[in-house]
Formats: sequence, C-alpha cells, structure tokens
Amino acid sequence: MSSLDAAQPARVPVTRRLAFLAAVVAIALLPLVFTDTYWRTNLIVCAINVMLAIGLDFVLGYAGQLNLGQSAFYGLGAYASTLLIMRLGVPFWIAFAAAVAFAGAAGIVLSLFAMRLRGHYLAIASLGFAVITYQVLLNWISLTQGPLGIYAIPPPPALALPGLPAIGFRNLANLFYLVAGCALLSYALLDQLIRSPIGEALTAIREDEVSAAALGINGAAWKVFAFGVGSAVAGAAGCFYAAFVGTLVPDAFFITESFTILAMVVVGGMGTLIGPVWGAILLTLLPEVLRGIGDLRLVVYGAALTLVVLFMPGGIAQAARLVLARLRPERQPELLR
Amino acid sequence: MTVVLQQGINGVVLGSLYVLVALGLTLIYGVLVQINFAHADIVTLGAFSAYFFMHGLGGGYIPSIAVALAVGGALGWLMNAAIFAPLRRQGNELLPLIATIGVSVMLENAMLAWFGPVPYAFDSPLSNDVIRFAGTFITLQNVLIIAVSVATIALLYAFMKFTFLGKALRAVSQDRETAGLMGIDPDRLVMLTFVIASALAGMAGAMLGPVLVLTPFAGTSVIVKAFAIVIIGGFGNVEGTILAGLMVGLIESYTTQYLGPGMIDIVVFALLLVMLAVRPTGLIAEKREENV
Repeated sequence: MSSLDAAQPARVPVTRRLAFLAAVVAIALLPLVFTDTYWRTNLIVCAINVMLAIGLDFVLGYAGQLNLGQSAFYGLGAYASTLLIMRLGVPFWIAFAAAVAFAGAAGIVLSLFAMRLRGHYLAIASLGFAVITYQVLLNWISLTQGPLGIYAIPPPPALALPGLPAIGFRNLANLFYLVAGCALLSYALLDQLIRSPIGEALTAIREDEVSAAALGINGAAWKVFAFGVGSAVAGAAGCFYAAFVGTLVPDAFFITESFTILAMVVVGGMGTLIGPVWGAILLTLLPEVLRGIGDLRLVVYGAALTLVVLFMPGGIAQAARLVLARLRPERQPELLR
Repeated sequence: MTVVLQQGINGVVLGSLYVLVALGLTLIYGVLVQINFAHADIVTLGAFSAYFFMHGLGGGYIPSIAVALAVGGALGWLMNAAIFAPLRRQGNELLPLIATIGVSVMLENAMLAWFGPVPYAFDSPLSNDVIRFAGTFITLQNVLIIAVSVATIALLYAFMKFTFLGKALRAVSQDRETAGLMGIDPDRLVMLTFVIASALAGMAGAMLGPVLVLTPFAGTSVIVKAFAIVIIGGFGNVEGTILAGLMVGLIESYTTQYLGPGMIDIVVFALLLVMLAVRPTGLIAEKREENV
C-alpha cells in the first residue's frame, strides 16, 4: 500500500504531460481532418469559445463569483484592438497586448464591486456592467460606428520566421493554429494558477470567505486578481474574434452572450478547468450537427443549462468522473481534474 | 413647463408598470433570497396571452388582463415546482439563479421561434380616449395602468397587514426557521409568493403590451430595469421598490426627452452602480443583507 502511495505523486504529472501532448496533437491534426471552410470556421469558433469559457470558469468555478459581464470584456477586447489597429495604425500584436490589458483593467474595475458585494448583488452589478458596456458600444457612434459596425478588419499579419515560408492568417488552418495555440496557452496558464497556492486561496474564498479571511487569505485582493485574469482571457478571445470575423457590431456582445458563455461553463462543469473546454466545444458544435435546429440554437442552450443544473450540477466533468469511477473502481479519477 | 409635466405623467405611468414587475422580484427575494430571472418571460407570456385572448378569441381588453393574471400565476406555480423547490434542498445560492437564466433563455427564444421578431399591434380600446388638461394629455390606458397599480399595491398591503396568510408570509421572510416552528409551512408560502408575484408580472404584461412594443423581448427590456429597481430600493423591501420604481420611470422619461432614448440604460445602470458602491443596502434598508 505504501509503495502505491509513493508512486502516486510521480504519476500525476506524467498523465498531465501526456494529456497536454495529446491536446497539441489533436490541435495539429484537426484542420488536416476537416479541410473545408465550414468546419474550419467552426473549429476557430470553438477555440474562441473555449477561451471565453475557461476565463469565466476561473472567476465563477474557482473564486465562486457569478460574473454575468463576460460579454462586456469580450466586446471591450474586440473593440479596443480593432480601434487601435484601424484608427491609430498600431501593429496587431501590440494592439493585442493593449486590448488584453484593457479588458483585464475593466475586469479589475468590476471587481471593485465584487469586493463589497456577493452572490445575487454581484450577479446584478455585473449584468449592469454588461448592459452599460453594450449601450456605450451602440451609442458612441463617433468612436465605434454604433449599429453600422466596423468592416474590413484585417486578419493578424503574416508570421515570418527566419528560414521558413511566411505563415499567413488568411488561411483558416493557420488561423486555427494561432487561436487554438493561444487557447491552449491560456489553459496551461490557468491550470498552473489553480494548482499553485493561489488556486487554494480562491477555492477557500468560494467555500467560505470568512473562514478564508481567518486563515489570512486577503479575499478582496484575490477577487481582484481572479476578475483581472478571467476578463483578460476574454479580451484576448475578443481580439481573435474581430480579426477572424472581420466585422464588428455591438450586437455580438449583447448580454445574451454572457448567458451563452455561462451555459458552456455550467454544462461542462463549474470548478473544473477541463469541463468548460468540453462544454464550449459541445455547445458550439451541437447546433451545427443538429442542422434542423439552427434557429433554435439558444433554446437548446437554455434547456441544457436548466437541465444540467437540475440533474447534474457538476456537468460533463461530473458525468465523466461517475462513468470512470464505475469503469475503473480501483483507480482514482485524478486525471480528470 | 408643459413638456416637464407631460414627461412627468409618462414617467409615472412607466414607473407604475416597473413597480408591478419589480414587486414580484422583491416578494420572491423576501421569502426565498433568490432571484427569478425568468420573471421577464412571465411578463411577456402574460402580454401574449392577453393579445391572443383579444385578437384570437375575440375577448374584451379588461377580461384579457384577468387572463394574463391567471396565466402568470400558473407559470409562477410551475417555476416554483420545477426549479426552485427541487433546488432549495441543495442549499446552493447560485444554482437556482443559473437555472432560471436557462429557463429565461429557453422561453425567450422559443417565443421568438413561434411568434417571430416582428412587433405585434396590441390595440387596447382605451388607448384612443384621451383626457386633456393644462396643455398635457393622458390616455385612458395610462389612467388604467396607474389605477390598477395603486389598487394592487393597496390590496397587497392590506393582505400583508391584515390576513393570516399575509402575516405568515412576513414571518417567513423575517425568519424562516422560527416561522416553521410556529406551525407555518414555509413550502406552501413560498409557492403562494411565487403565484402572487408571477400573477402581478402577467398582469403587468397585459397592460404594457399596448404601451410598449410587443415582441418576445418585451419582458426582457423591462426586467433589466426591474433588477436595477429592486437593488436601488433595497432587495426585499416593498416601500423601497415602489419608490425606486417610480424614480426609474421618471428618470427614463426625462432622459428620453433631454438626452435621447439611447442613454436610458446607461443612466439607470450608472445610478445602480453608484448605489451599489455608495449605499448597497438600497434606499430603504429594512434588515442587514448578508450579501453586501
């Protein structure tokens, strides 16, 4: 028994490294399997949604703060980078960094409310933040062109590595590699944060803020941190969205988008990082697979959200753990987390 | 001066509608400490059931308000039985809220698929009769809205103050466990609260249908302001909700007049965020909230 215990800590990192490698291989192979524009477009949308979902999960699933403002950070990232590129001629990657920082800063502003409010009050405050952001994007016509939208946004500039042919991002496969690579990077970053003592601090705040404070955890500071990180990831997703779609209208960042992202996180499994990844992929592809229900996409999202909360509050992650525990009762379902 | 007065009247009319919707949210919060996101869709379904009762079945307008009231009450019972009652046992604060967001997204888009996005012309016979005085005018429909709201608030107040059920309801919202020890069945009272709150929402829908634009999103445009109202007024506090509802109605009509309709949500929610930052217990703080 003791030899098994000793082997345990060494084995977990190996499976994690293998899982990471598997993800890299999957990302590399996917555009080769799906060669038509339609499916490659879906793949990119999946990658963007994965970033939005894991960003929200960091705030909701780990820090326990119900943030209904994710659509606002997504929109702020998209508009900030696009306006910098098209109005001021800033290079893409500098605009990208600035937009990520801007969305993160907006998240920190909202977190100043989260320091004083909890639960339902925070949900409504963040909803109010999303409504205001949407209305500002819609009505500040001299800056955002309002409902007319911004057109002909260029894709990211071609990447010229020495000794290799230039990698252009008008090619959807290359764009997918870029976005999915960034999604994987965000995942790895959040994963490291969650496994570090920071993750422990955040879950302590989620479970009981007063007890956490008694243990010397500064709840306010860590909430600011969680909101900053979660919204910065959403801002990055916004930059890619603008560069990928090439058009920006405020309606893409209406509060419904926050609910959609919430559905991905909850269906996947709040409080696990891998769950929302599957939730985002499932809810993005499900309406495409069930072609007939194209118009009823959001009905499916709403129904999925309600049914999961009622019958499987841990989402796909909980379901997978249950199945795995039944298949292999001798093995701890550690690798799912 | 006439414009100021006229917009004041319009503001009170809008405010009365908001109060009817927000009162339901506040009542539910009082007994359950939960938010029903799908409250918006009960408003919309109330409006559509009144519309189809009038234009499909040839009923009168006043009976159609009663129909909307009944439909709203039935939906409230269903919401409680399907979502809140099963989740209450888990004791999680956020799960019921997330579930009702799901219900709301589902209902709204199902209505969009069935009824389409084109606004319905919901004509109330009362909209054509106008009373004029001192250069301003008010339609009979708007008089009806104000009268029904005042009557509803008075009835609700009398119910809470003088009937056994009303007293039991207040007891549950003050301290659920002690109320239970006194022989009050909290589950039944929560159900009753949902029925009352949702009946008010359905009725509000039937009255706002002819005033605002009737689309599947009619309720949603009202509910985000109702959320702002219940927080500005102090969650669970009836007097605060009435005050804040009228205030938001007036802000809306004056903002439309002087800053343009695009600024309404910005002004209302800026006020909400300022309130949350400065005085998160709301205008009238009845009891210390644990969430602020």
